[in-house]
Amino acid sequence: MALWGMVIDLDRCTGCQACVMACKAENNVPAVGQKEAERGRIISWMQVLTETDEEHHSEKMRFIPRPCLQCDDPPCTKVCPVYATYRNPEGIIAQIYNRCIGCRFCMAACPYNAKYFNWYTYQKEKPGQNPDVSVREKGVVEKCTFCHHRLQKARERAHAEKREIEPGEYNTACAQACPAQAIIFGDLADPGSEVSKLARSPRAFKLQEELGTKPKVIYLTEGEGGG
Amino acid sequence: MGVKRVVLIVVVGLGILTWAYSAGWVSGGVSQPIAFPHKTHLDLKLPCAGCHQRAEKGAVAGRPPTSLCMACHAGGDTKSAEIKKLRSYGEKGREIPWQRVWRLPSHVFFPHRPHVVVAKINCQSCHGPMETLTKPPATPLKTLDMNDCIACHESREKAVMAKATTAQAHPKAARSLLNDCNTCHR
Ligand code: HEC
Ligand code: HEC
Ligand code: HEC
Ligand code: HEC
Ligand code: HEC
Repeated sequence: MALWGMVIDLDRCTGCQACVMACKAENNVPAVGQKEAERGRIISWMQVLTETDEEHHSEKMRFIPRPCLQCDDPPCTKVCPVYATYRNPEGIIAQIYNRCIGCRFCMAACPYNAKYFNWYTYQKEKPGQNPDVSVREKGVVEKCTFCHHRLQKARERAHAEKREIEPGEYNTACAQACPAQAIIFGDLADPGSEVSKLARSPRAFKLQEELGTKPKVIYLTEGEGGG
Repeated sequence: MGVKRVVLIVVVGLGILTWAYSAGWVSGGVSQPIAFPHKTHLDLKLPCAGCHQRAEKGAVAGRPPTSLCMACHAGGDTKSAEIKKLRSYGEKGREIPWQRVWRLPSHVFFPHRPHVVVAKINCQSCHGPMETLTKPPATPLKTLDMNDCIACHESREKAVMAKATTAQAHPKAARSLLNDCNTCHR
């Protein structure tokens, strides 16, 4: 069975935000408005975090695109009292919006701040939205799902044609949009896949690895002489 | 007494009606632009997928294009007001604005193709006896809730598990995905 994962090469990331915008459009992520934004309620499943270099303080900025890291040992799912968020057999951390009761325990548990709460009805269903992704209601938590609606369609097509999903057939919107090809998505269970090969690179590291969350989003540090 | 009680009854009555409406107990139903009779056409032994062609090609079953209706209804005299309406759409090259009757909530993904093509499930087992309809249905003849989907998927899994030998590739894999929340919810 597949184990979906992502590699993000920080050496290639220019911080252009194309992934952020692509994600918002793909997943009907609402704009919360200025007032809500000022209260820290922006919803952005993919976010570009910035970090200044320890050695060259003001000279160099590091960009870290941060989707949901789809931890293999996720702290968020363990605290959900209603099974609205759980790790599915293919390693995707599911978020079943209609099951969610809005307790926000999972948000408190996530060390990466990758989960977001709908404090109000930020949007209604309307034309122009992606019909493959439902619009979340007020009072539920949402987050990046590795664009799992794309997996639904890819798997349906593959099954109907009596074959397995081919590499590249299922890709996330952020990886597709990245002009620098810094985001590579694929099957970590397939040792020959590009994402698996990159994940084994000596440059590979995980965010806050010491927590033992085992993220399936793996970063590559800037190469030699890059810093 | 009098006024107060009347007001109370009216308020409570309206409340119950609104609630029943929003809960889907009372609904206006759908009316279609042309009184299309399924029965007449199915008596001609037309296959369901002959008109609902996309059911075998993707998620949505769809309605037939007007040109397909016109293949039979373009010629000859007619007294039928319905056929006249059909022809006026056809002659203007317009599609008939059919209304959706069956609809799951938007957070559910339901693809027709695996059910119709791979699992070869009869349309009627999910939609009810469409061949008996002499006019378009205002409400679904039969609906599926989550338990119906899962009950069938579970029986399917059992069948797959029973057939699977150790040599066969992951029967367990198929099992855990067909009833995974993420398979249907989005
Ligand atoms: C294979 C040929 C065929 C096709 C295709 C077909 N029909 Fe018919 N239809 C018939 C026949 C035959 C009758 C019964 C005789 C009649 O009333 O003309 C009929 C009857 C009807 C009637 C009832 C007429 C009345 O008032 O009694 C309507 C309405 C109708 N068709 C609409 C449609 C529409 C809409 C389509 C396209 C979705 C369509 N038909 C496609 C053959 C066809
Ligand atoms: C001659 C073409 C034709 C054939 C054959 C036909 N249909 Fe239809 N079907 C239509 C048209 C036109 C509509 C839209 C009008 C209506 O709702 O009756 C429709 C509507 C429907 C709907 C309602 C869709 C919605 O909007 O929710 C269902 C379900 C359906 N058909 C199922 C079937 C099944 C099952 C069969 C085979 C037993 C079948 N149809 C055969 C033309 C056809
Ligand atoms: C396993 C159950 C199942 C089977 C089998 C099935 N349907 Fe459906 N059908 C549904 C459900 C559920 C919906 C509502 C889908 C939605 O809202 O996304 C639906 C919707 C429809 C619609 C209206 C919406 C659309 O997709 O255009 C039509 C028309 C339709 N079905 C025709 C058919 C025909 C024709 C067949 C047989 C070839 C068939 N269905 C077989 C469950 C089924
Ligand atoms: C009568 C039996 C039956 C019913 C009812 C049914 N299904 Fe299925 N469904 C199946 C079978 C069998 C398959 C597997 C087909 C295959 O082998 O690929 C399937 C597959 C699926 C898939 C996976 C498609 C893929 O290949 O990845 C989805 C999604 C799905 N069904 C959704 C639903 C939903 C939602 C409902 C209820 C509205 C529903 N099904 C009702 C029998 C059913
Ligand atoms: C085989 C497809 C399928 C699977 C698997 C499935 N669901 Fe559903 N679910 C549906 C359908 C169809 C509906 C809409 C009809 C209904 O409400 O019963 C629904 C409705 C719901 C609702 C009700 C929403 C509301 O507004 O009332 C919740 C909550 C829900 N599902 C949670 C889950 C959870 C949690 C799981 C996994 C444990 C799950 N579902 C697995 C098909 C599925």
